[in-house]
Amino acid sequence: MVSKAKKLRRLIRSIWVFNWFNSCGFTELIPVVGSRWDMERFGMIVTGTPRHADVLFIAGYQTLKSIKRAKRIYEQMPEPKVVIALGSCTMTGGMYWDSYNTIKRLEDYLPVNLYIPGCPPRPEAVFEACEKIFKHVLEMKDE
Amino acid sequence: MNEKELIKKIESEFGIKAEKQRDRRIWVTVKRKRLMKLCRFLYEENFEHLSAISVTDFPEEKVYELTYHLWSYRDKILITVKTKIPRNKPEIESVTPIWGESAQIHERELHELFGVKFNGNPDLSPLFLEDWNKEPPFRKDFNWREYVREEYYDEKNEREKPYFV
Repeated sequence: MVSKAKKLRRLIRSIWVFNWFNSCGFTELIPVVGSRWDMERFGMIVTGTPRHADVLFIAGYQTLKSIKRAKRIYEQMPEPKVVIALGSCTMTGGMYWDSYNTIKRLEDYLPVNLYIPGCPPRPEAVFEACEKIFKHVLEMKDE
Repeated sequence: MNEKELIKKIESEFGIKAEKQRDRRIWVTVKRKRLMKLCRFLYEENFEHLSAISVTDFPEEKVYELTYHLWSYRDKILITVKTKIPRNKPEIESVTPIWGESAQIHERELHELFGVKFNGNPDLSPLFLEDWNKEPPFRKDFNWREYVREEYYDEKNEREKPYFV
């Protein structure tokens, strides 16, 4: 019987992305969607539902209320799943480090695979992160 | 109707001073007890649009100042109604019977951020702050930086030391 990791290795040509962005988070990733940087040429497509997604992009500061929704989105995604956090807000709280309402480190709430620092991160950094996902799948071991 | 006529009407009806701030802007200060009456009166004067309700905190004077911004589409006048309520017992009658949903959401937010209780509002459940059990965060005596340091950061952690400077 072919193992799950092997199957994946054979299948993976593209990654489907689900976006969960707060505040300025989406404007950070717009250049990646646009024609100049164009993420679709690398096989990255934004899906409409977390149930079809392999990768979860989280950007912008997360509030106490929205982190609950982010957790539910994460739970709805099928295995194997990858979480990528963009921007300094998800790492340290960014400019909202002393806000009563934002969470400071995303890794306290969700298992984050990759952080992309920057405010906003450059599109090249996003692509490099995605290349690392492909590598991650190729190096994946059977459980 | 222009501003002058409206000011005259308010002054003769309620015996309070209305002030023309500048063109098409009027400020009225009213006692808490007569707020509903004034609001009803203004609604009948075609002030159908409640743009915003806001609260200003004055800890020294121990009052909250509530501000209602009303806009008339017919006369193109923005009228600002102000009223004061005590800070230690912040209660006031809701204007939801007059403006409905647009008042409801503002009052719900202010209840959450300042702890003002609007009597007669059907739903004052938390809007943004779920599971919040501290005092309302927008009060001036709430030290949010202290709260964040206690809640999220560790002074002994080398990486988090800068947050305690």
